[in-house]
Amino acid sequence: MPEIKVTPLGAGQDVGRSCILVSIGGKNIMLDCGMHMGYNDDRRFPDFSYITQNGRLTDFLDCVIISHFHLDHCGALPYMSEMVGYDGPIYMTHPTKAICPILLEDFRKITVDKKGETNFFTSQMIKDCMKKVIPLNLHQTVQVDDELEIKAYYAGHVLGAAMVHIKVGSESVVYTVSVNKFALCHSGAAWIDKCRPDILISESTYATTIRDSKRCRERDFLKKVHETIERGGKVLIPVFALGRAQELCILLETFWERMNLKAPIYFSTGLTEKANHYYKLFITWTNQKIRKTFVQRNMFEFKHIKAFDRSYADNPGPMVVFATPGMLHAGQSLQIFKKWAGNDKNMVIMPGYCVQGTIGHKILNGQRKLEMEGRSTLDVKLQVEYMSFSAHADAKGIMQLIRMAEPRNMLLVHGEAAKMEFLKGKIEQEFNCYMPANGETVAVTTNPSVPVDISLNLLKREMTLGGPLPDPKKPRTMHGTLIMKENLVSSEQALKELGLNEHQLRFTCRVQLQDPHSDSDTLHRIYTHLKSVLKDYTIQHLPDGTVMVESIVIKVSSSAEDANAKVLLLSWSYQDEDLGSYLSSLLKKGLPT
Amino acid sequence: MDSQCVSILPRVCGVLLVSGSSLPDDTSLEKLLDWFTTIAQTGTSLLEACPCLVDFVSKVAFNYTSGSSILSFTLKLTGLIGASEDGFKVLKECSVLKLVFNPQHWQEAGLWEDPCLRIGWIQGLKMILKHSEALSFFAQADLIEPLLQLQTDSSLFVASAANQTLAQVLLLCQSPSSVGHNGSKNRDLEHNSASMETTQNYSGIITKVSDYLNKSVVLKEISQLPGSQQILRLLALLLVRVGPPLRDTLLLAVINSLEELVTTSCSQLTVPLLDVILAANSGLRDDCVPKQRLIRLLWVMLNMKKPVDVMQAAAAVLRSHQSDPALSAHSARVLLLPLDIVTGVSLLDENSTEEELRILITEQLKRKSCISMICVCLSNIPQITLMASDCLPCPQRLIVTAVLLLLRLCCVDSSSSSAGCVEVVRFITGNSKVQKCALEALLVLSKSPGVKMVLVEVFKVLTEYLNSHSSDPSVLQKSYQAVIKWVRVCPDLSCITDQLREGFIQAVRKRACDTRWEARDSTVEFLGHLVGAPSCWAFTEQEMEPSDVLLGGCSFTVPLLKEALQDPESYVRASSISALAQTLTPSWQDGTALTQEQEDIVTQLQEVLFQDSEGFARRAAVKYFIAWFSACSSPSSCWLLMQSVPTVLSQGVADLDWEVKLHTLELAELVLDRAFSDPSPSHPYAVMSDQDHRLPIAGQQSDLLSSLKNLVDWGVVSALLCGVVDCDRPVALKACQLLLKLRGIVCPVMDNTADTRVFCQLAGASVMQQVRKIQEMGKDTCVVSEACSEADKEGICASVDPECVSVCEVLRVLDLDEKLSILTQSSDHIYNSPLSLLQDILTAAAASSPPGQDPRQELVMDCY
Repeated sequence: MPEIKVTPLGAGQDVGRSCILVSIGGKNIMLDCGMHMGYNDDRRFPDFSYITQNGRLTDFLDCVIISHFHLDHCGALPYMSEMVGYDGPIYMTHPTKAICPILLEDFRKITVDKKGETNFFTSQMIKDCMKKVIPLNLHQTVQVDDELEIKAYYAGHVLGAAMVHIKVGSESVVYTVSVNKFALCHSGAAWIDKCRPDILISESTYATTIRDSKRCRERDFLKKVHETIERGGKVLIPVFALGRAQELCILLETFWERMNLKAPIYFSTGLTEKANHYYKLFITWTNQKIRKTFVQRNMFEFKHIKAFDRSYADNPGPMVVFATPGMLHAGQSLQIFKKWAGNDKNMVIMPGYCVQGTIGHKILNGQRKLEMEGRSTLDVKLQVEYMSFSAHADAKGIMQLIRMAEPRNMLLVHGEAAKMEFLKGKIEQEFNCYMPANGETVAVTTNPSVPVDISLNLLKREMTLGGPLPDPKKPRTMHGTLIMKENLVSSEQALKELGLNEHQLRFTCRVQLQDPHSDSDTLHRIYTHLKSVLKDYTIQHLPDGTVMVESIVIKVSSSAEDANAKVLLLSWSYQDEDLGSYLSSLLKKGLPT
Repeated sequence: MDSQCVSILPRVCGVLLVSGSSLPDDTSLEKLLDWFTTIAQTGTSLLEACPCLVDFVSKVAFNYTSGSSILSFTLKLTGLIGASEDGFKVLKECSVLKLVFNPQHWQEAGLWEDPCLRIGWIQGLKMILKHSEALSFFAQADLIEPLLQLQTDSSLFVASAANQTLAQVLLLCQSPSSVGHNGSKNRDLEHNSASMETTQNYSGIITKVSDYLNKSVVLKEISQLPGSQQILRLLALLLVRVGPPLRDTLLLAVINSLEELVTTSCSQLTVPLLDVILAANSGLRDDCVPKQRLIRLLWVMLNMKKPVDVMQAAAAVLRSHQSDPALSAHSARVLLLPLDIVTGVSLLDENSTEEELRILITEQLKRKSCISMICVCLSNIPQITLMASDCLPCPQRLIVTAVLLLLRLCCVDSSSSSAGCVEVVRFITGNSKVQKCALEALLVLSKSPGVKMVLVEVFKVLTEYLNSHSSDPSVLQKSYQAVIKWVRVCPDLSCITDQLREGFIQAVRKRACDTRWEARDSTVEFLGHLVGAPSCWAFTEQEMEPSDVLLGGCSFTVPLLKEALQDPESYVRASSISALAQTLTPSWQDGTALTQEQEDIVTQLQEVLFQDSEGFARRAAVKYFIAWFSACSSPSSCWLLMQSVPTVLSQGVADLDWEVKLHTLELAELVLDRAFSDPSPSHPYAVMSDQDHRLPIAGQQSDLLSSLKNLVDWGVVSALLCGVVDCDRPVALKACQLLLKLRGIVCPVMDNTADTRVFCQLAGASVMQQVRKIQEMGKDTCVVSEACSEADKEGICASVDPECVSVCEVLRVLDLDEKLSILTQSSDHIYNSPLSLLQDILTAAAASSPPGQDPRQELVMDCY
């Protein structure tokens, strides 16, 4: 029986770097190629030696598909293509292809900033990698080769995020990042078809949570910023160059406009323009709210948000500053933090994840005294707030997705084991569900399918009968004869190979005749008659009241109304069809007197 | 080791024991192990350094209520402690060792099912197996059984680690005398009786491994396939790692099974089986019996009935560089067969032994799966070209011809036909996978002897690809690479006629306007790379630059590149700037006078620096000036360059992109080096006489003063001072290094009177503030005002300018050495240290609240 195999090299029962291998219909596909930001050595990348020991990834993999631009999903891509040497096709959506290099550059900067970083990719490598990427359009079926096809659907997690339907023959897999509620009501792009994949691989980051609405979080965020500004404090928001930063800028800009606030908002990174450019370019990929507002005015042409100069940090009075990097471990954001940390009027809002080994991580865990260069310490008096704007789906969203796609099996990745277990329990009430650990392989058997060519004549006949033509999305029954070519084997061997039992096909027919004798006499007369007519055949009069000519069985019964009217029941096998039809016509003529 | 770390480690262990789930993040335990490993590697006894660890390990082992990640960590830690003989002894004495490495213990607790625990067990075991005591323990506890079971574990990670560990066990068994026992003679005597016993146990281990391999190698049913693959992987690893006589023992134990396995001709096992045979074959003498049997096995595999498997076998044989010439020659013939069949180019002689394979491959090539077969053929051409010419089935020139014909057949716009297998054409036409493989092969074949005569053909085919609208961007990139490669290898381009050149120029022009940025970028990059190719002979029998021969030189490339400066894609703009620098470098080196076009380029590049919204282009622009300054033998005589440098420096150092700033400082370094080694003008824009071109003599204050003034005027000092307070560490480091260099040149020579005459104006108020702050931190004196008032007295500084600093004083007062020592360290050296990690573990534990109530939990799971 054919089977689909799924092996996570990362994101199996954890929230590290996503890298999932899928073998389907003889094709090998890598889903995401992420990086773990918590490590500074080789452990940050997936270990590709598990895929193939000779290092020839191109020979083994048919394609790589990237779901979205977050570094835990695409961060190892330049390493894989430019340093390990994978030269095959890489697929991602247009926005992801545009935004990926920005984040990779951003992270490269952080990496170079640290001492002792080796074995890391260069800018040229990022570019060369991106040149190999084939962009995907939504709902467009892309033939990777003659057998493997992929189709992207809107996922809404972040700009350009996609879920992907992968199909080889009749086997299919859907891979999705956490689909958020925008995707569930996104009117611009149709929801994923009820494609009934063999496996639906889904992230399960908030597997146990039913989250409060994003609107509540946004309101909370604005409230905190506003309060700080009102009391004359400064707000620092450490961000990565692209993604959450733009969404927060839109929020603040709109709020400032509404409340007629005058305190300056600054954005420190030089990449804002490019980021905004992409948001404008891919407006159709953004959520409904942004698109709707965009019709009224360009949301990304900020009136209140200005470029930051490092001297502004010392200016008196309130202000809001977005600064990179997002984990407060180097650069501008750290420099500003050091300046503002001592004042309890100020506030730092961490809108995302911080790995261990960064100041962001420390202050989120409540550390109030930070060691600085030269054995000095920094007293953190400013307020520290954490606020997740991540667009991961919660348990409800994931269940909704499952009901939509109706997969035969469900496979959970990118989540903590204990929480996955909870969700798995819920899913298993309706579907098979797996949650492999990293390195473990799940094999799911699928129904074997044999593609066949239909003759043109048969199709034409169907059309003249007014029936719809065959459509993969609307399966229906069609009658015809399947002609098998090339391999001729004995029926016994065929039965053995297919594991089938032999079926006997028998034809039956009733013949009425007038005969005034008893049933047994009539049967004997039939026997005598046939003996005289069919000299070369084996004819037997059996004690159970039947006459047999070869495989043909003849029985006699009387009619209830008329005792002279006899009904002859003839039954013959497929092999004796000619003889059977001959006998039925012979007996219809009556018995000799 | 930091005593502070040691002092808080017991508390950390306590936290790990009670609340393993509230760790800072998923990397914490790994990082903790890294720290312990570092301690162990320095030669310090881990137990002496951290005595609380034994207690921790014992508590976890005896009370296995901890989470799987803590258990796994503890197993690894036990291995690390037990890797030293004294640690091993302590663990043994407190009965931890037996318990921790007893799989039964974990199975009874229902924890063995967790792959996380199994991986901990394996890795711990692997770490401990460093000395004979550990091996003896391994043998006595009969751990070989569970270890063998894990060879086919459902987890790839566990199985792979089990493979490695078994190899290590065998290596230890191989020479028990060579490991451990670094004690005295008496100690050896004491161990003597035990040694005899353990030797016997080791042979038991080897027998068990041999039996296991022999039994497991044979594939009894298809469901065992993954296990069989795993066992073959293990066998290949063992045959590579262990030496004779153990290697021979293992080989003899499995060779019958291998022969049996070969006859099953299971496609999924072809590659791992070949790996085993080739690994076994590589270390054997030609005259030994197994060698003959292995060679026979290889022949069997090369004569299987499945063409795909035969191709894979041939490829593996060639890659292994094994010594049998007949095998290599046959493998090359097998690999070239698809190319021969598809193109109809007779690469192989009529050979009846291959006739059957030819028929089978021909049939295969008529199916969709032909693509992978052709790609295997093409990707192994580099191996074929490495073979001795007498082993080659045909001259390399013929292979080039066949590859070129294949490329033509693959090209959508080509009308070529082949005398070979027609059915395959519909599958390969337009297939970028085959096209890329063929172009890769063509790249390698450029080195083949006697290929000059096909150069025109190569050129025509590559032009066809560049012209084709359906060429994939990555195919175009490879086509350009092939052009460069062939041009580099063939110095005689006299065969390139005007007609060919015209066609090529048109193709390049077309691609420069391609709608796909990837194609435009590759085109622009190609123009730059072509300049670097060595001179060649042209059609006119003159020595010329390849770009002149192929493209007609700068008159074609420069306008094209100038146009690309306006490209909407920043990558292309950056590439065009780099290509312009490469193109113009020869003229800069020659000192040729600047053309109007070049002057326009400089204006455009300054605009890029000021206005381009993206860093790539701005970085390239600064690098253009670096290339120009480096290539110019006398930059001071090039007025436009000297006029541009101050602008580039002031703009570049204030850029938002860290690499632009860094490159700007590289330019500053060039200017600085030149200022103190070369004749320098009194003013950057002044016309200089020969008399002015004199080297500043060390010790002559006036010359140094003049050079320093020039540096200030050009904006070098201001750029360095701006850079040294930058928030990006690499920028600040570079600036600091350059300031130290400047201090080293200037300060020892200048006396106090002289230095005050050189002032530097700082660009931004913030820079000024920061420089002042550093000064104040370093010294109590306010150098700026003093310097200015001193200068004022001399009439140099008209008023006290708050943005003006005395260069020499600043260099002296800024604590550059201290700053350098800080900047040389990693920017995260404090927060990514063991102490920081330990503190984070403690803080996380203190901050953790019951599950579901801590909003931070969301953050921990959040994406980057």
